Amino acid sequence: MSNVQLKAQPRKKVGTSGSRKLRETGVLPAVIYGHGEPPESVMLDEHEFVVAIGHGARTMALNINGKESQFLVKEVQYDHLGKRPIHVDFVRVDLTEKVRVKVGVELRGVPIGVSHGGILEQYLAAVEVECLAMAIPETLHPIVQHLDVGQVLAVRDLVVPEGVIILNDPNDTVAAIRTLAEPVEAPAAAEPGTEPQLPERIGRVRPEEPAEEEKKK
Amino acid sequence: MALMPKRVKWRKSQRGKLRGVAMRGNEVSYGEYGLQTLGTGWITGRQIEAGRVAATHFLHREGRVYIRIFPHKPVSAKPLETRMGKGKGDPEDWVACVREGQVLFEVGGVEENVARSALGRIASKMPMRCRMIRRRHGL
Repeated sequence: MSNVQLKAQPRKKVGTSGSRKLRETGVLPAVIYGHGEPPESVMLDEHEFVVAIGHGARTMALNINGKESQFLVKEVQYDHLGKRPIHVDFVRVDLTEKVRVKVGVELRGVPIGVSHGGILEQYLAAVEVECLAMAIPETLHPIVQHLDVGQVLAVRDLVVPEGVIILNDPNDTVAAIRTLAEPVEAPAAAEPGTEPQLPERIGRVRPEEPAEEEKKK
Repeated sequence: MALMPKRVKWRKSQRGKLRGVAMRGNEVSYGEYGLQTLGTGWITGRQIEAGRVAATHFLHREGRVYIRIFPHKPVSAKPLETRMGKGKGDPEDWVACVREGQVLFEVGGVEENVARSALGRIASKMPMRCRMIRRRHGL
């Protein structure tokens, strides 16, 4: 979904306060930069953007004052709960130019090794790829069903669409099936009435003050 | 045994205030699913340990549980039936200060329904409302 068209307007309200007021009205503040041109502050409809990004759009055509251009979504900032977008960075892009972006890796399937007592661990959550701006894959979905205990899924095993080059080291581990370590015996809880264990003090510790009776003397 | 630091610079600390929301540590970073807090407050080392035990028992050593918080702050208390004064009490507990949005626990290597149940058990041990979130793979 690369031919998403959204309407945007130039933005005069900048800064925290201005942006906050815009968000209250359902408008999303954004910035446009790149290609050696000066940056522009713009705003667009939040709902339209959320729908577009939910469908996996990485490039969008923004119509600003009747002039349409293509942009790459560089970064989306979310609120503290990760629910609502609060700001978007767009980069000016030509759809036929090659770009470098990070693409997420989402593992699919339950590996055989898990039924043999192993644990599936993912070490690489995203890979950097180089491809045409119009052909950025949304997410990579490697199938891990064949992995047994001790086996790894490396970057070289990832299948990517034609024209997409992965820039990470081919030997980097994406995921592995790890064997379980022997469970460590938890230290016994302190018996009631005994002194609770205290952490060690860093630095010079002041010697304890003498008891009050000694002070009176 | 409840979590606590190995070494500290100061034995006691003032209570402090928890203002604002979590602008860091509010995304799933290690596992596939996470437990995000919807409130602000202190979580004691005992509560964190109770959550970990509840999840690992439920998972039967499948998958992996990640703890994203640590109780760095000492909380002191006076012994029972003690008159006021005579200085600050001794450290009794260690707490983690969490703000709304902080990811407390993460679970990886299991399916979504299993992770949901495990995180639900942890949430019941926490002193504030929590919700489950997924790792964001795209933008």
